[in-house]
Amino acid sequence: MTPITSKAPLRILCLEDNPLIVLHLEQMIEDLGHVCVGSLESLVELKDRFESQPVDCVLVDIDLADGRTGPDAAAWLFARGVPSLFVTGQETIADAHRHVVIDVISKPVSSRALRSGLDRIASRPGHH
Amino acid sequence: MTDDFDDRALLDHVLVLAPYRRDADYLRQLLTEHDLEVRICSTGSSVTPFLAASPGVLVATHEALTPDVVTAIGAWLETQPGWSEMPVVVLLDRSSHQTRVKDALGKAWPRARQIFYQRPVTPVELVSGIQAAFLARLRQRDVRDHIDREIELRRELNHRVKNILASVTSIFEMTRRGADTVDAFSEDFRGRLGALSNIHSAVFQADGESVSIQEIVDLTFEPYRLPGHDRVITEGPRIMLSREAGTTLALCLHELATNAIKYGALSGTVGQVSFTWGHSDDDLWARWAESGGPPVVEPARTGYGTRYLRSALASLFGAAPVFTFGPDGLICEVKGRLSRVTRNS
Repeated sequence: MTPITSKAPLRILCLEDNPLIVLHLEQMIEDLGHVCVGSLESLVELKDRFESQPVDCVLVDIDLADGRTGPDAAAWLFARGVPSLFVTGQETIADAHRHVVIDVISKPVSSRALRSGLDRIASRPGHH
Repeated sequence: MTDDFDDRALLDHVLVLAPYRRDADYLRQLLTEHDLEVRICSTGSSVTPFLAASPGVLVATHEALTPDVVTAIGAWLETQPGWSEMPVVVLLDRSSHQTRVKDALGKAWPRARQIFYQRPVTPVELVSGIQAAFLARLRQRDVRDHIDREIELRRELNHRVKNILASVTSIFEMTRRGADTVDAFSEDFRGRLGALSNIHSAVFQADGESVSIQEIVDLTFEPYRLPGHDRVITEGPRIMLSREAGTTLALCLHELATNAIKYGALSGTVGQVSFTWGHSDDDLWARWAESGGPPVVEPARTGYGTRYLRSALASLFGAAPVFTFGPDGLICEVKGRLSRVTRNS
């Protein structure tokens, strides 16, 4: 499959506690020519394990394994300069926290919506 | 100031509008004796902030109802939400023109339940009338709370339906990628949807929030058990899983069972599988072992089922599962933390 973007692939982390969705996201990320570097399922895990490993973008669900902690996770990433996208069925909550993410993608996720969100990250000035 | 209706109000007191001090004092004493909380709005003070404090019942003497006060009350009544219909008790004088007053107030306050008494009124009559109005008001509050609960349930239902649709979409996409023919796709997709549907029913029939490992195991293996010839051995202590963990385990067991039927110990007539689990303190383990089937080798191409198993078991237990492809059949072992699967988020 031809890579969709001519830019360097994004290294993407999934913050999502449903393994089915993680698998699907991984597959879509690869199809779009990017790289899925792993998945975490809670805010606690993110804070514990989000190390120096370079990540260009995080896909964040609203409801995680430790509760409705997605908005806090996105804010935590935002404070560290890491761009993220909400990927969620909880659009109302996502919209209320829109300022800490680049875009909101509704579930069920379509490849087109994911691509458009990732393109916005890839075309940001900071990204090479 | 705004006089918007406070939608969380307790509606727990009686507001008395009485310009004459004696009337106000009398009503306060009478109602307080009967355990009703009273607030007095005397002449000169604006009625609006008193209404904004959301009284349960309004009691007004006829002389309190000047055109300005009637208008202010009418405006506030208009802001009531659908469940609210504030009872207003009006104390008329013997000399007042009753029909005219009732007509005027009926027009000015279409959204109030009006109760009229002619003075002098006996204390027992007045108190029982106000108490009845108050009880009716508390029923309105119950209706409000039910409406709130229903809105909350609808929101939660929407959320869960979306999650299920997202899971089904993922299953569809992954099954589609892994299937070589339409028939193979149909069979795998139907099987996986069936597993998702069964676990949903089991969780719902339990208490909606948790399910035991044994129930999930029974659900998964029931179709493969034959009387007197049990090829599926399962054993482990009672452990309750959260709804999410239960769903993931059910889908994993479905993958293992289907794989055993297609390629493993259940593909022939003599093989057996065992699924056992246990824990000591917070250390949880589970083991799937096939025996007596054809020898198995690690597949060259990692299919959707295997990928899902690896990632789902790792997510469920917090540690990667170990697969052994041996001459006796497939063995899958995983160890993790009990607290991880039992918690409810």
